[in-house]
Amino acid sequence: MQLVAKRTLQLVFVLVGICVITFLLVHMVPGDPARIIAGDRANAETIEAIRKSFGLNQPLWRQFLTYAGNLLQGDIGESMRYKRPVATLIGQFVWPTLFLTGYVVCLAVPPSVALAIASARKPGGVADQIIRFIGIAGMAIPVFWLGIMMSRFFGVALGWFPVSGYGKTFIQHLHHLFLPALSTAIWMVPVLVQSLRAALIEKAGADFVVAARAQGASEREIFWRTILPNAVLPTLNLFGVIIAFLIGGTIVVEAVYAVPGLGSLMINALLARDYHVVQGLTLMFAVTTVAVTFVVDLLSALIDPRVRL
Amino acid sequence: MRSLARIALAGLVAVGLSAPLTVSPALAESVIRIASPYPATTLDPSRSGAAGNIETFGQLYSRLLRRNSETGELEPGLAEKWEVSSDGLVYTMHLRDAQFSDGSPITADDAVFSLERVRTDKESALPSTLSAIESVTASDARTVVIKLKYALAPMLGNLETWNVGIVSKVDVEKRGLPAAFVTDPVASGPYMVKEWRPGEKLVLQPNPHYWRTGYPKSDATVEMVEVTEPETAAAMLKAGEVDVMRSVNWAQVDDLKATEGIDMRMEPSNIVFVVLLNHSREPFSNLKARQAAAYALDNKMLTQAVTRGYAKPANTPLPGSLDFHDDSYPGIVADMDKARQLMAESGMEGKEVKIILGGGSTNQQMGLLMQAQWQAIGLKPVLVNVDTPAWWEATGKGDYDATPTWWMNEVTDPDLAVRWALCGTCDSHAFNTFYDNKRIDELTEQGTREQDPGKRAGIYQEISRIATEEVSQIPLYYSPYAVAYSTKLKNLRITPAMQWTLEDTTIEE
Repeated sequence: MQLVAKRTLQLVFVLVGICVITFLLVHMVPGDPARIIAGDRANAETIEAIRKSFGLNQPLWRQFLTYAGNLLQGDIGESMRYKRPVATLIGQFVWPTLFLTGYVVCLAVPPSVALAIASARKPGGVADQIIRFIGIAGMAIPVFWLGIMMSRFFGVALGWFPVSGYGKTFIQHLHHLFLPALSTAIWMVPVLVQSLRAALIEKAGADFVVAARAQGASEREIFWRTILPNAVLPTLNLFGVIIAFLIGGTIVVEAVYAVPGLGSLMINALLARDYHVVQGLTLMFAVTTVAVTFVVDLLSALIDPRVRL
Repeated sequence: MRSLARIALAGLVAVGLSAPLTVSPALAESVIRIASPYPATTLDPSRSGAAGNIETFGQLYSRLLRRNSETGELEPGLAEKWEVSSDGLVYTMHLRDAQFSDGSPITADDAVFSLERVRTDKESALPSTLSAIESVTASDARTVVIKLKYALAPMLGNLETWNVGIVSKVDVEKRGLPAAFVTDPVASGPYMVKEWRPGEKLVLQPNPHYWRTGYPKSDATVEMVEVTEPETAAAMLKAGEVDVMRSVNWAQVDDLKATEGIDMRMEPSNIVFVVLLNHSREPFSNLKARQAAAYALDNKMLTQAVTRGYAKPANTPLPGSLDFHDDSYPGIVADMDKARQLMAESGMEGKEVKIILGGGSTNQQMGLLMQAQWQAIGLKPVLVNVDTPAWWEATGKGDYDATPTWWMNEVTDPDLAVRWALCGTCDSHAFNTFYDNKRIDELTEQGTREQDPGKRAGIYQEISRIATEEVSQIPLYYSPYAVAYSTKLKNLRITPAMQWTLEDTTIEE
């Protein structure tokens, strides 16, 4: 309960901070949303009229007050160029990103666990060496390059998977997002394996393992009941960070595979200086990050009673 | 036995599930998908001159006149005929019997309302096309009377530019702004909006009330899909996920040309690539420094290097496709010795030159070439990368010395082009170069009012010459549109004024 209260308080501070900083940053970056809206040929008077209609001619502090006031009423604003509520736009783009994130998790977690265990069984053994080598290769390949190569090979040359989009049905989502999810998972698996492997090796030599062995538990029991739950904890935290990162950070993979997700929306909004969309998205990412770490903390507490202290 | 039955059942279920999947492609409606990096950002024709919007407006809104997609000639649009008074001051337009996509009649009131929005609304993106108009009135339900302040030679062409599409006055007044244009505007063109997912795609469907009977020729829906990465767009085209790739990189052209089922075409445009120079501060406030910079850039070599010879080197700062353009005029022919000599005479040697570069590989290449050439004549070029909004901010404020960029003219008449790029007293500070030549300003007004084509040719050629010799901008090249099409599409292309000929398009299976 204390954890929940502490986290909620933390959330409030984080959000206030994020709001102020994002607001200042987007407004101070050079560039004018009115120019992007009206296009290259618009003259100065037109640009000024558009700025006025958005209240951009007012002093910054007044604009911030208006923004904060709306925010307190739960209104995150309207896109300046599309004239649609930011919440509607986020609603349009969030599903591909969430689906992609879930997909990546499904593709990445089982092999990560299996590989980490195989690796940690005999540190320095043949299996371990191979897994580590492939892992380093997987991490070193840029997602951008890998994405393009896979879409060329599996999409264009072999025709097994679509190279773009999101599809309409669940099956189509699985089909369309396979390559993007795989490109991301290939980068993610080695990170998870490394963390879990290190923890497994470390815990295998821990006092409580020796104690368990002394009490006559079988090696199998020791591994599943003692070593693994203890080793999962640090990886779970890392996993939480990665999930939060994925929701806001699938930008590259979304661009390569033309997936209409939050990453595309963010880039578009930034390049158009669509202030409210950028602010709304940043706020959403912040809330998600806090929420995900909160869930991870709860899970940790469930697995390990000591965390509750 | 039981396990066998289970397998059989599973098999049946699998067949049942896959059946709709295999049947659906046959039943699916036909669709033409265009991948473009230029997004639609508004459906209100008066409000934006950005490329993606210009392309869409032509599909959604008919104009009083239209351009024949084969010949490029002006012909009757929503106005079936018109009379021009002998002094050239009064245009009387007679509207045909036509309807909006909601079935309501298109009246003279709608035409007046649409033209007034472009001409007098404060947020109109390009009012200058109609700036010669004194008044627009509806004399009856089907007649529009346009009175001009002065006789304007290109007036009819200006009634065909992208922003003067006819919108429904009743609907705009009923739903209000911006609501009338946010999701499903009432259309007067060949297509209407089926669905718009901003930032993703705009889906159009044929307008059943379109005045040209029998058009669009195909009943296919049209999807304008936003794809920013050229690599992705090319993969989508090859995999058959889109049918058209709007903006092919020069480096991709040969590969797409060699791909079966793809028709890689270079289509004429009104585009010119130039280097803008900032005339409001040193070094390029100095005429000799500008000339030196121009002589140092070999635009024949540069065009070959950057566009692999697909574009044509430019001889003046105006688009080569404009009326009265003099192809035989040599322009400035690169000469490094002369460049060095001019640089020495200018006294600007050793000055820093801030070259700002917008996104895209072309700008990057161009920037590097400019840097190398100008270093060789004794300038100190510095490259600064910016994104589009920051580019506009910097050029608008004159916070730069040089920058490669491009622009296009809506029509082939040079009036608007000169006002945009060369005239110092017009709206745009000669495209943010702050170039100002009194003689050009005078000639601009003369050219607008002159009715005799022969005399106009003389005026615009003189303007081009002055601007080229004084290096208002450094001309680079005339770029065609590089567009790749699936060979199953017939009669689809993009016109020089950036309009897709979708209503003429058919699909061959």
